[in-house]
Amino acid sequence: MRIGYAAVLSLLLVVGCTHVKPETPVSEPKNVPTQPGAPPPAVKPAAPAKPQSGTAAPAAPIARAQAPKAAGTVAPPVAKTLATAPALDLKTLEEQLKDTKAIGFFTKITLKNQVDDLLDRFRQYYQGKAKLTLTDLRRSYDLLMLKVLSLLQDEDQTLASAIVSSREAIWRLLADPKTFATLQG
Amino acid sequence: MNTLTAAWVQSFVMVAFLAAPSFADDEETLKKDLTAVIALHGLPCGEVVAVKVLAESDYAASCKDRNRYRVYMNAGGRVVVEKQK
Repeated sequence: MRIGYAAVLSLLLVVGCTHVKPETPVSEPKNVPTQPGAPPPAVKPAAPAKPQSGTAAPAAPIARAQAPKAAGTVAPPVAKTLATAPALDLKTLEEQLKDTKAIGFFTKITLKNQVDDLLDRFRQYYQGKAKLTLTDLRRSYDLLMLKVLSLLQDEDQTLASAIVSSREAIWRLLADPKTFATLQG
Repeated sequence: MNTLTAAWVQSFVMVAFLAAPSFADDEETLKKDLTAVIALHGLPCGEVVAVKVLAESDYAASCKDRNRYRVYMNAGGRVVVEKQK
């Protein structure tokens, strides 16, 4: 009896001291195409179409929006190495960012704050209230994406790849005043 | 000390052994989280090496480069990082 108890204790001790790393993130894209040749799904707005009053874009910002297209074509090297996953829709992306274990709680809240700040800047831009160009916004967008990717790339490569794949599609949603208006919930 | 008491003591030690890695993991996760938050705010830190819990969602973080910050969530749901002297 005494030997058996000691054996169980030893076993428990071994189990207790064995440090198990957190399992690899389970955040798989939910809309992965089943056919190899199928094109990735387009990014679609998460929120139902509910344009807010006063978000209609004035003529001047739209005119400015056409000019800096070159800024949108530059992708950092990290995008090339990770761009293998299919693009996600915004809703799925949001859910996966909420669920991922690669980013801590406070970091997620901070990122959400920064996303909200960026959306505010877009809103001001479209309302003509801020002296911003689309190039400025693109720079901010790229910086925010880099922050998210640098947080994800080591511990949730699947989600990082999906974000890289969705990057340009999300930008197109933001850079178009009509689709941007539909994003405002 | 009878057998039953010995068993209780050994069980208590076992629980302590099992719980210790969990607490250590939580602390490391929090340090990593606060390191990322401070970096996202563009503030120098390097790495958070010590954390003191001031209140719920309110922490004092000490960095490797000796900077100290208070990191908390304000009423508006924003994460605020304040440099401490």
